[in-house]
Amino acid sequence: MKRILIIAASVLLALALAIPAVAADPVKIGVLVPLTGIVANGGKEMANGIDMAAKDKKTLLGRPIKLIVEDTRVKPAVAVSKAEKLVYQDKSVALIGVFSSGVGLALAKNIDKLNVPFVSTHVMTTKFYGLNPLVFRSGQLANDQTAVGNVEGILATPDLKKRKYYVLVHDYSWGHDAAKRFIALAKAKGVKVVNPDFDRAPIKTKNWSTYISKIKASGADGIYIALITDVIPRFMKQANEFGLMKTCRLVSGAAPGAVDLENAGTAGVGIFGASDYAWDLENFPGYQAKAKDWNTRYYKMYKAIPCDAAAHSYVGAMNLFKAIEKAGSTDPQKIAAAIRGISYDGPYGKVYICPGDNCMRNDAVLTETVKAPKNPYGATIYMKVLKVFPAKELGPPCKN
Amino acid sequence: MSNMEQAAPRSLIFERLGGGKAMWITTAVMVVILAVLPFILPNRFYIRLVNEIMIYGLLAMSLDVLLGYTGLLSFMHNAYLGLGAYATGLFMIHIWPESIWVAMLVGTVFTMAVALPVGWVQVRTGGLAFALLTLAFGMMFYTVAWKWYDLTGGDDGLMGLPQPDITLFGLKLASSGNSTAIYLFTLAILLICFVFTWRVIHSPLGAVLEAIRENEERASFVGINVRRYKLIGWMLACGLAGTAGSIYILYRGYTGPGVMGAFEGAGVLMMVLLGGMGTLWGPFIGAALFIVLKDQLSSWTQDWEIFIGAIVILLVLFLPKGVAGVPALFNRQSGGED
Amino acid sequence: MFAITVDIILNSLVLGGIFVIMGVGLNIIYGLNRVMNLAHGALYALGAYFGFSVVAVGGNYFLALLIAPIIVGILGLVIERVLITPMRKRSMIYTLILTYGLMFVIDGLIKFFWGVETRFIHLPEFMQGTVSLGSASYPVFRLVILIGIAAVVAALMLLLGRTRLGINMRAASEIPEMVSACGVNVRGVQISGFVLGCMLAGTAGVLAGPLFTVFPIMGHDMLISSFVVVVIGGLGSLRGAVIAALMIGFVQTLAEFFITEMAMVIVYMLMALILVIKPLGILGEGKFE
Repeated sequence: MKRILIIAASVLLALALAIPAVAADPVKIGVLVPLTGIVANGGKEMANGIDMAAKDKKTLLGRPIKLIVEDTRVKPAVAVSKAEKLVYQDKSVALIGVFSSGVGLALAKNIDKLNVPFVSTHVMTTKFYGLNPLVFRSGQLANDQTAVGNVEGILATPDLKKRKYYVLVHDYSWGHDAAKRFIALAKAKGVKVVNPDFDRAPIKTKNWSTYISKIKASGADGIYIALITDVIPRFMKQANEFGLMKTCRLVSGAAPGAVDLENAGTAGVGIFGASDYAWDLENFPGYQAKAKDWNTRYYKMYKAIPCDAAAHSYVGAMNLFKAIEKAGSTDPQKIAAAIRGISYDGPYGKVYICPGDNCMRNDAVLTETVKAPKNPYGATIYMKVLKVFPAKELGPPCKN
Repeated sequence: MSNMEQAAPRSLIFERLGGGKAMWITTAVMVVILAVLPFILPNRFYIRLVNEIMIYGLLAMSLDVLLGYTGLLSFMHNAYLGLGAYATGLFMIHIWPESIWVAMLVGTVFTMAVALPVGWVQVRTGGLAFALLTLAFGMMFYTVAWKWYDLTGGDDGLMGLPQPDITLFGLKLASSGNSTAIYLFTLAILLICFVFTWRVIHSPLGAVLEAIRENEERASFVGINVRRYKLIGWMLACGLAGTAGSIYILYRGYTGPGVMGAFEGAGVLMMVLLGGMGTLWGPFIGAALFIVLKDQLSSWTQDWEIFIGAIVILLVLFLPKGVAGVPALFNRQSGGED
Repeated sequence: MFAITVDIILNSLVLGGIFVIMGVGLNIIYGLNRVMNLAHGALYALGAYFGFSVVAVGGNYFLALLIAPIIVGILGLVIERVLITPMRKRSMIYTLILTYGLMFVIDGLIKFFWGVETRFIHLPEFMQGTVSLGSASYPVFRLVILIGIAAVVAALMLLLGRTRLGINMRAASEIPEMVSACGVNVRGVQISGFVLGCMLAGTAGVLAGPLFTVFPIMGHDMLISSFVVVVIGGLGSLRGAVIAALMIGFVQTLAEFFITEMAMVIVYMLMALILVIKPLGILGEGKFE
């Protein structure tokens, strides 16, 4: 008998721990960001951006907004089960955030089951165009757009135009997609690439010395990287230590993470690339006022350098909030319908979700990291804006 | 089996199955509770959680066959869950998406086919060398799953799994995309595996395995081919793990190299010890405790690792037989039936 | 080509050197205590974090290299007394699980005290530059680390070869009964072996910090690599561990350079091969219980 009691007691205990808590007044939004792992800093910035949007918006449909933040650990399986928790247990009406194309695609695969709109603020893979009626890309540029921006930037800079590029990416869907997009466009526009079948480094790589040797051996004098944001400054630091940056210049398919850029110090100078936002936009006519206001408030709220990850997460969240208001309900299909075609005028100008492919079109910036002038955010290195691309220039054309 | 249950009257059928009456009644009650759960618990999140517990329970039970009955330690038994999952997934994506049964069979058979040469090599050693070999082979499989991007999807994992119908003798029961259907399917498979394994363990074969665990030398003196029986135990354990993997990918619709990682493997080992090894049912309780604790702790606190680690340490220090060891502890304190 | 060759050789030596310190530490613990310490990687991470903190509060890197291992060593002593001692009579499976739990606790504590973000150990000015070796250029700090590794190995050789404690340690890992019969306190020797192993893990952490950056789960991959090293070198064999560590350092670097990390499969195969054909390691000096 005792054994039965033990078994029964353990099962009851397990179930008791799992009894749901009920409450349903605020509008709940599930926020999926990486808070541990390689991109913890970026995840924190994403969460800040979304939090700031919720504080700015205050209410939805006359109800308070409640953000429920879960850590994806940048692992697809973890993200999917956290999404299940956010939807089934917490009753979130939408999911937002998500770093990494691998995680994004895994979640998209399960979205019909979850049946809520999923607004990714950070996924860059071109596979997201028209992927699923419930899946949206809002915020970050997609790989094809970044490639256009970068190749144009290279062609417009004489010192970059004449260089031969070694392509090095993180070994997962985003990296592969970014490399293919860049290489195809570079080929079409006459930019030289030394390794058309591109080099892939595992995401966990910390020691870049071998990759640096490979770049040296290839004879390239330019490097095109698609590495996760937080890693870029670390890669730069090691490339500098090995004297690689004396001969090479670096073009990046993603913006470097703000915290890590500061940590790398002067080693992080010279990262060239297209991105959606840089706080330097506050010095750029046409964007000045909105960017300045956003930067100042962000810095005041989070005591952190205003950065691209936070800005596009903010914009993504604002798109979602506006759509929920427009839908006038928390019905998933209605929200999804409202997101298509929604537009929002934020820190980097007017953005627009193309109804034909569920992905955002927005203005973008071409930047290079340099030593920062005196600024209110305490940054010593910053992304200096070289040029602004209007949304049309980066494409792809929006078909309804 | 404890003394108490052996003293209890047994009907023939229970004797045939090799367990006590009480044990089978408990099993039946548990199965009924689990079967009605999706219909009384509206929250699908918990259904998914219990589903995951069942899958990992099956994996932990398969490890128990190895650890608790054959006395062999596998660091990375989850690698075989991974093999089963990838084989099932790849078969469904590239070859035949329609039949869930064939896919499961392929997953299990493939896992066993890989496990056979590995096991053949491993049983030539013993003890710590065996355990370290499981690590070497496990890491090998993990690396292949992780780096063979074109086949496995690398870090992104295997995606695009079709969702075939669950059929029985040509009769369509439900779609495997339905979470209640896959839950009940898991339960059914689990029950079959449990009864099968229980039957095997409580047959003469099981007795041989236990004899090997107790004393390898003595077993070989009485004419037991130790290596062959170790290999049989290994194959049984890997086959069950492969089956667990097949259900895993059907349940999750996805698999990545993460499930095959070395540290996840130690987690499975922990489930067995938490529940109590050498019992077959203990690992299920271990899996439930481990998964529920991890889930609850990680939503309460960022520092869940400290607590789960501390619980493991305390268990090893004070309750080495796991939850299954509680009755014995209780008996000793109350003057003891043992 | 010369530059690349120099790069690869030095990189392999640096990587292999870290493996040497980790592997030898693990082997000293195993040899004397018959404990496979799964928390060894976590102690390595802890060493790196203590190193980071010492530098962050104003100390310099060399001071960190001195202080961090001592703190980790003290922690090792506590771990030995509180957790390992009660397990001496039990099957090795239990110490494995116990140290696995300990690994979780340490990982969690690291996140609790230092946060999840990646940390950089700030190096003195002179170590930040690049040095020219013919046509090759190599970071100064990597050379300093290489010298550091050599110094640690030399100190270890002195300790084990010339001091009474060291000689007792080596003897006790071979035939503890004999040492005990000679009137030596074997328990004391075993405990100092455990503490020494932990200190080595801490040292490896401080040395590796500037190479790989400092982050909470930095010990995980290192633990797996260290396991491979001690198996190939032979469990408990110190010379074997050194040779195996350098070998793995070279294989890993070359694999990354020429093929992909898929080549790591070869390393695991080698590990399996050694276990089956030469279970006592490449030098045949290993000890199996």
